[in-house]
Amino acid sequence: MVRFFVGFLVLQAALFGAELTPWAQQYFVVPWTNQLASISAGLVTLADPNVAAVGKVLRSTRNGFAVSIEAGCNGVEATIVLLAAILAFPAPWKNKLIGLAAGIVAVQGLNVVRVISLFYLGQWDYEVFEWAHLYVWQALIMLDVLVVWLIWVRTLPRSADPSGGDRGAPPGGTGPRGRTVNAGSAATAPA
Amino acid sequence: MSGSVARFVLRAVAWLPLAFAVWYFTAPVLLWPAKLLVELIARAGFSDLVRSIAQAGATYTFATTLKPGEALAASGTITVDVNALLYAFGLPLYVALVLAAREPGWPRKLALGYVVVIPFVAWGVLADFLKNIAITAGPLVASQTGFSAWQRELIAFAYQFGSLILPTVVPAVVWVVTHRTFLERLRIAS
Repeated sequence: MVRFFVGFLVLQAALFGAELTPWAQQYFVVPWTNQLASISAGLVTLADPNVAAVGKVLRSTRNGFAVSIEAGCNGVEATIVLLAAILAFPAPWKNKLIGLAAGIVAVQGLNVVRVISLFYLGQWDYEVFEWAHLYVWQALIMLDVLVVWLIWVRTLPRSADPSGGDRGAPPGGTGPRGRTVNAGSAATAPA
Repeated sequence: MSGSVARFVLRAVAWLPLAFAVWYFTAPVLLWPAKLLVELIARAGFSDLVRSIAQAGATYTFATTLKPGEALAASGTITVDVNALLYAFGLPLYVALVLAAREPGWPRKLALGYVVVIPFVAWGVLADFLKNIAITAGPLVASQTGFSAWQRELIAFAYQFGSLILPTVVPAVVWVVTHRTFLERLRIAS
């Protein structure tokens, strides 16, 4: 158990540190964030044609309201935490890869829901938007990561568990967090 | 999702609104120990920068010894406000998870989680303050702090880690550690 937690914390800190490097930002974080805005706009336009994505900004062409997807709201940190929790847990590599693939889809899928919901909450009531943005969605995304990890641990063969008293007891923890910094025009809210 | 996990998640989600409401309205009291901790650290490590720290609701106001960038000769000094809720929102989630697990000894688990989380709230608040004076405030203010380039890098990392990772990871880790029997039962039920 101690080994898992140490591995989890070290991996998490290392991955988070790597994420902050200019190289990772340029070649991974920024392109992914732009893609996230694009995916969100693509889904929203199925029901609401007055939405467009420009870079990392999701904008209403009807009233000009926009949300800018910033660090913490692009799901990258949540994914890092899940990645660290799965990689640090003793399990066959095949299970880890399956868990990572399914987990990343689950976390990023809910994150798309977060972005879209914040886009509409912001147009409805800014105070509610702030509450959802700064507190509620952070907790929900973190709950998502935890649940994904719990389900993944349940799918593992018993022989893959840590030895001794730790057998089968999932000892890890997960959770994303995000707070954004406004980076757009006066009508642009961080999401 | 299997039944037992689904039921647990539903219970946790059901507890969240109440947990958030209690957390929000009791925050001035709930986060007071974090303010004491921040004050203690600021006095020990940054007494040349911080004159006092006041708490209004969940906002901590740091009165600094730093002059505004444009008026170094003026008598005014800079104050920095930090919203402690931004670093404490893991608490209601932790409460919801503990109550959803329905384990015996839950009051003790709640107390333990609170005690563990508070220092990390202090971390976030302090890192936010330091980031404000050493980075955000601009070079004229930052130069008065005396931080070197690598110290500013460290502050930036501490702030990012303290705001993007720790507020949610710490409560989750505490919950997992305090609910290993519950998790084992969940596992066996699969």
